[in-house]
Amino acid sequence: MRLRRYFSEHRRFWLGIASLVLFVCAWQFVLTYLIPVNPFFFTKPSLIAEAFKEEIQGARLWHDLAVSSRAFFWGFGAAVLVGIPVGLVMGWRRRVEYSLDPFLTALYASPLVALAPLFIIVFGVGVAGKAALVFLLSVFPFVFNTCAGVKSTELLLINVIRSFGGTEKDLYLKVILPSTLPYIIAGARIAIGRGLVGIIVGEFYAASEGIGFAISQAGDTYRLPEMFVGIIILALIAVALTELMRKLELILAPWRSGDEVR
Amino acid sequence: MASLIKAQDLTLRFTPKNRDPVTALAGFSLTITGGEFVSIVGPSGCGKSTFLNVVLGLIKQDSGTLELHGKPITGPGQERAMVFQEFGLLPWRTIIGNVELGLELKGVPARERVKRADELIKLVGLNGFERHYPHELSGGMKQRVGLARALATEPEVLLMDEPFAALDAQTRDLMQTELLQIWERTKKTVLFVTHSIEEAAYLSDRVIVMTARPGRTKDVLGIELPRPRDYEMRLTPEFNEIKLRIWEVLKEELTGRGPA
Repeated sequence: MRLRRYFSEHRRFWLGIASLVLFVCAWQFVLTYLIPVNPFFFTKPSLIAEAFKEEIQGARLWHDLAVSSRAFFWGFGAAVLVGIPVGLVMGWRRRVEYSLDPFLTALYASPLVALAPLFIIVFGVGVAGKAALVFLLSVFPFVFNTCAGVKSTELLLINVIRSFGGTEKDLYLKVILPSTLPYIIAGARIAIGRGLVGIIVGEFYAASEGIGFAISQAGDTYRLPEMFVGIIILALIAVALTELMRKLELILAPWRSGDEVR
Repeated sequence: MASLIKAQDLTLRFTPKNRDPVTALAGFSLTITGGEFVSIVGPSGCGKSTFLNVVLGLIKQDSGTLELHGKPITGPGQERAMVFQEFGLLPWRTIIGNVELGLELKGVPARERVKRADELIKLVGLNGFERHYPHELSGGMKQRVGLARALATEPEVLLMDEPFAALDAQTRDLMQTELLQIWERTKKTVLFVTHSIEEAAYLSDRVIVMTARPGRTKDVLGIELPRPRDYEMRLTPEFNEIKLRIWEVLKEELTGRGPA
């Protein structure tokens, strides 16, 4: 009885785990008993698990991760520092919005990874080229979400600040920025995904180290289990960062956690 | 007593998005003396809230003069504070943070702010809720915070824009009586906009009845009921007579102008 209650209370977690476990088991089962596959062309969970154990004990993986993280950190950091202020001003000043919107929307909508070769030529094969690519891909969600957040700021609250003689700076710091914060965090979640794409594409294209390079090299040399290790680690990082953003929202915007739809 | 606020021939037009221009005020005049409790009633859209915003300094009139202590009002100022109908609390701030807001914007040092906010939280009966967030509070409690925030800056004039309209009937009755008690103690000048005849009659020294749009003063009624007033007073024949008098004046503006 108590066990049943435990599972029904935590069903969100356990149902999610169950579907994942089921998928992995099915994969293993099919490739082991139903369709024996040439390990050069495909792989199965047991082999990936073995490779995983090996890789996390070696030094290469950690080195690759460190290299990629550095590029991600700089590119994403720059996106935060540029994207939020631009979005704030765009949302608050109509003229700025009208001037920038068509240009930025066109950039946001187009597959910017196509610019990877250009970036590598301009910024080089090192950290700078990848960071620039990460920046370009992840800055737009910050700009557009911040802008949308500013525009949804309640006029009443603006009037409250004004009625007490608040300045333009007060409006930004005491109302617009805090009320936009949840939008910014939602933007960050999108930006994380796009930024990771930037890293991987940059390293696929031209690199001698990094997690993207490791994946592409493993694929090129038919070491499929190693390739999957890289992919899984990327997935884990993406999930961890996204989850971190959710926690951040709970801490920074506790007034929004009150009501959920279901 | 000398006049504190003097409005003369105020005219204000504004143009809503994609619609024809609206004349909100047309030759509106009003004089208020210090320490008075004045209510403004009138049909919906007659410009009573607009007038409060002009006094607050958020909107500028197109013509006419508006003076406070004989000096024209050019923007928001220390002497005036507003209690808003929809409270206008910052959801990311605790109650004490919200009460401190006005003081903070006026550059009052932190220690003094906290002390002052504490006093006002006690005055409006919210002690124990300092660290709560607005979403954890009922409507009546939220408006107590709104009142405390306005009083914290020690304004001479308290502007109240249908402050109890968003509350349920019982909370409303309670808040009216508490407002009167606070007013007796602090002796502020109050300019109170409401839809409710009963509320206006119960609270005010004078009730201004406005015409339908464009708004001007239709009549000014003095409420000669003794103070302090309490809830029981609202059951007396005298009180009903006053309500009837206000209603008689207001009725003409509400009827014959299409559905309300």
